[in-house]
Amino acid sequence: MPKSDKTGPNGGDDPTVDRDSQWRQVVQRLYEPDRDGGLTAAIVFAIADAEGVAPTEVNSPPLYEAVDAERIEQALFGSETGETVREATGRVEFRYADYLVSVGSDGWVRVSEPTRPERP
Amino acid sequence: MSDESTGEDAADLAVSLRGDGDRSLPQETLEVDYVYEALAHARRRYLCYSLLEDTRPSLTELATEIVAWEDDVPEEAVTQRHRDRVSVSLYHTHVPTLVDAGVVAFDEVNGTITAAENADEVLAALIGIGGSLESQDDARAGGETDTEGGETDAEGGETDAEGGETDAEE
Repeated sequence: MPKSDKTGPNGGDDPTVDRDSQWRQVVQRLYEPDRDGGLTAAIVFAIADAEGVAPTEVNSPPLYEAVDAERIEQALFGSETGETVREATGRVEFRYADYLVSVGSDGWVRVSEPTRPERP
Repeated sequence: MSDESTGEDAADLAVSLRGDGDRSLPQETLEVDYVYEALAHARRRYLCYSLLEDTRPSLTELATEIVAWEDDVPEEAVTQRHRDRVSVSLYHTHVPTLVDAGVVAFDEVNGTITAAENADEVLAALIGIGGSLESQDDARAGGETDTEGGETDAEGGETDAEGGETDAEE
């Protein structure tokens, strides 16, 4: 499968983030499932930090229109009750407004903004 | 009579689930994904229950109630940060999920939810689940008192108050 010349679990065949010169990370936040009670809030709080607004002011659009955070939570962190320990590793990335958001199975939620305007 | 027919339905279902014979599965109950999607998270079940109330609380008020309920604390003790976390989860995930499932409509201006076309079906399922859990509890409670048959007899006597004498001291 001649897909990419890079290797590793987060290897270079990811079209969104590989152009790393175009994105600058502005916020990172550690999500702890037992403490934070839901990945949705952790992601929105991180975006709020990036925008410099209160979390309740992040509202255009609902995150649900960009991604189903509940399913990401289930895939990366198992059930919300924490009764099961799963060993999934990986990272999910998606665009929200002007940002690139990355959620890793290590719990790090990272928000990046473009370093230059996108091509028209 | 009604007991008998329920029994037959259950037997029919058991037969169809075993695949004996040529019976078809009850399509209507297999095709209501939105019911299960709507009820798959405790916070969404809470939102669905709230549709039964006469008042239309805002998402912020609902978030306060949910924190109090989840953490078993009085509503006055709910911190803003905690309330914001839940409020954000409602706005960004749970309410849109319910809107997608056709269970609620969200009023952006007032920040309130109202029932939509599938609300009745989902509430019926929710209440049905509650009912079946209760009857399981009853059955379990009945089982526990089995060894003391006298007690269950006495209870039976109480329900038909007039004819209760026949049960007494036997």
